[in-house]
Amino acid sequence: MIKLENVSKSFANGKPAVSAVSFEVNAGETLILLGTSGSGKTTTLRMINRLILPDSGRIYVNGDAVETQRLESLRRGIGYVLQYHGLFPHYTVGENIGVVPGLLKWDASRIASRVASLMEKLHLPVSDYLHAYPHQLSGGQQQRVGLARALAADPPVLLMDEPFGALDPVTRASVRKEFRALDEIQHKTIIMVTHDVQEAFELGTHICLMDKGKVQQTGTPATLLFSPANAFVKSFFDEHRFVLELKALTLADIRPWLATLNGDDTLTVWDAIAAGMPRNTLLDAVDQYRQSKHMHGTS
Amino acid sequence: MEPANSFIDFLQQESGKILEQTLQHIGLTFISLLIAVVIGVPLGIAISRKPKMAAAVLGFAGILQTIPSIALLGFMIPLLGIGPAPAIVALFLYALLPIVRNTYTGITQVDPAIIEAATGIGMSARQLLFKVQIPLAMPVLLAGIRTATVINVGVATLAAYIAAGGLGEFIFGGIALNNTNMILAGAIPAALLAIIFDWGLSRIRFRKVLLMPLLILVLSSFYLLPDFYGSKLLAGFTPEFMGRNDGDVGLKKIYGLKIRTVVISDMIMYKAAFDKKVDVISGSSTDGRVKAYDLQVLQDDKHIFPPYYAAPIVRQDVLDKYPELEPVLNKLSGTINDSIMTALNYRVDILKQSPAVVAKEFLEAHHLLQSPGPGTKGTIRIGAKLFGDGYILVNIYKLLVEGYTDLHVETKTGLGGTKICFEALTNAQIDLYPEYTGTGLLVILQAPPSTLDSLGGQADKVYNYVADAFQQRYHIKWLAPVGFNNTYALMMRRQQAGTLQIKTISDLTKYLQWN
Repeated sequence: MIKLENVSKSFANGKPAVSAVSFEVNAGETLILLGTSGSGKTTTLRMINRLILPDSGRIYVNGDAVETQRLESLRRGIGYVLQYHGLFPHYTVGENIGVVPGLLKWDASRIASRVASLMEKLHLPVSDYLHAYPHQLSGGQQQRVGLARALAADPPVLLMDEPFGALDPVTRASVRKEFRALDEIQHKTIIMVTHDVQEAFELGTHICLMDKGKVQQTGTPATLLFSPANAFVKSFFDEHRFVLELKALTLADIRPWLATLNGDDTLTVWDAIAAGMPRNTLLDAVDQYRQSKHMHGTS
Repeated sequence: MEPANSFIDFLQQESGKILEQTLQHIGLTFISLLIAVVIGVPLGIAISRKPKMAAAVLGFAGILQTIPSIALLGFMIPLLGIGPAPAIVALFLYALLPIVRNTYTGITQVDPAIIEAATGIGMSARQLLFKVQIPLAMPVLLAGIRTATVINVGVATLAAYIAAGGLGEFIFGGIALNNTNMILAGAIPAALLAIIFDWGLSRIRFRKVLLMPLLILVLSSFYLLPDFYGSKLLAGFTPEFMGRNDGDVGLKKIYGLKIRTVVISDMIMYKAAFDKKVDVISGSSTDGRVKAYDLQVLQDDKHIFPPYYAAPIVRQDVLDKYPELEPVLNKLSGTINDSIMTALNYRVDILKQSPAVVAKEFLEAHHLLQSPGPGTKGTIRIGAKLFGDGYILVNIYKLLVEGYTDLHVETKTGLGGTKICFEALTNAQIDLYPEYTGTGLLVILQAPPSTLDSLGGQADKVYNYVADAFQQRYHIKWLAPVGFNNTYALMMRRQQAGTLQIKTISDLTKYLQWN
């Protein structure tokens, strides 16, 4: 669906911002670009919708190289969510959400019904907020409008740049939870930039960890935790390792050590404990999984 | 001050003119504003995309703004002549800076996150501009247009100097004539226009912005130069001449002269006549430019222009304090007749010699020059009006006073018109200035018609009357007349006057009646 091949970009001063980045995201997957500030993750994201042009390398969206696609059509086919929402202050909530369908020349009634259905799904009652202006909304509401705007034309791809980064921790957790539950995003291909490790593990099917403009490792959360490619990857997760492990492992992963326990294989260990399944059994199984990884250890 | 009801009377008498001038004023303001918006907004948008160009363009527009408005109008005359065209161009140049700068500021101050969002969701550069940047820049842009409008309402008063009409005709006429009612009849509507337009434009919100070009177009169309007499010849009269009994009023009443008239500054009037922009002007008989531009003075065969003999007028308290002053100033009496004064003016105005040099050489020739004393006894401040004779006379007086007394002299030239000069004298900001008997009689004393009839335009009688009246009313003394008579005169290009066989004002009246 989206593929980067050896993409590089230098700043105006010649310092490399992104060096030879490659990864691939399949349809329906969520790839998290994770890293500290200055790691090149936002630059990488913005090269996908050509807000920044790469110096070298190829980028494909929907199988075609991005430079061969008409710029406006490429962008209108990609939902884009920014950290500081970037809502148009002179447009109402309804107009903000309907802007991309408008650019795509949908007829007015279709836009109106699409806007109304998205606002319902994102808990923004139409009667209260359709004609409100962005400055009249709370931070969480503004971010929901930004998300609705990105989803309005139902694009197959979403690019999200620290979408919850400007929110306080409580609002952040609740907006994130709503986002995960949203049926609109279930089949979308998503690339999201964040520096928040917990967020990466909650939302990502895959994580691409970047540092100093280079990809350190790309893989599932469990791969990064249990088979780190280098010392940087290993130390990056050390602080929250225990919680992250429980969030990264599903029951399927530890099934060999759970002879007696039944349950939904897709559930994470963290969610299973929260759901009241026997804690000690689960933690023992995780421990044995960890040892088995260590024995065949990659590092 | 005149009583309040006389201002109302003035408004009623002149209501037609006030309306006409107001409409011209609105027209001038908005035509230039329209052009400035049409050029300035796209220019502002263009430079918002090219920061390197921005500094140059804004710098250039800023320099235009610092040119004094009267000078800018002056620069326009060689290029565009007189009338509405140079006035509109000058106003356009003044309106340009606030509009370009505010458009630029408005566009560049849009939050970069919003620009990134708009670009990222797939707006084209054009959509970005019209859907996002311009709407968000609109409050700042409109503020720029408001500023430009208010500037233009103010500067448009100066259009009266170059025959483009507007409320400046009353304002400058009133200043020249010491007529407060006339000044107010121009200044109050001008101030009201500025306030009303500023308020009106502040009411315009983004969604109504499309109405604005329409509004500006409608207001622009007010500028239709009224053309009451479709006469063959065009007269250019000064604001002062237009309002005087011994000026345009007298020409109409005594001669029955009907001529299409524009109001024009005396600074450019002679040149305009020479360049055939106007045919008849209200010059002054001793002006150097009469000689330079080969103009013919029309004979005042019905004697409507009273004598204008120049003499220094001095506050009595100054004479009491420095009694040596009077005999020194009177040394000049009888030395300068009309043709000498015209020649002196010609050297200063046309040959561009320094008035100080001309004054010195004149005194030398008359054996009146003495080297200055220490100047320790006190300081005498001598004023002069803006035009011709004054500059030279002031320099002559300075040399005389410093040569024959121990007084030091400061000169204050360029004191607008009669009103400004006379008030500076009565308020002791200057001690003396050269004045004309006719101006004293008609402008300062505003002598009633019965008095004018009894004086009968005779030089001696007029001099004695103003000397007595000034002493009684203002404690100001008229010293001995210098000798020349700088009276008003109608003048035409010598060649045209010859062709049309016009020698007197009566000839001119007849010519216009039959053609």
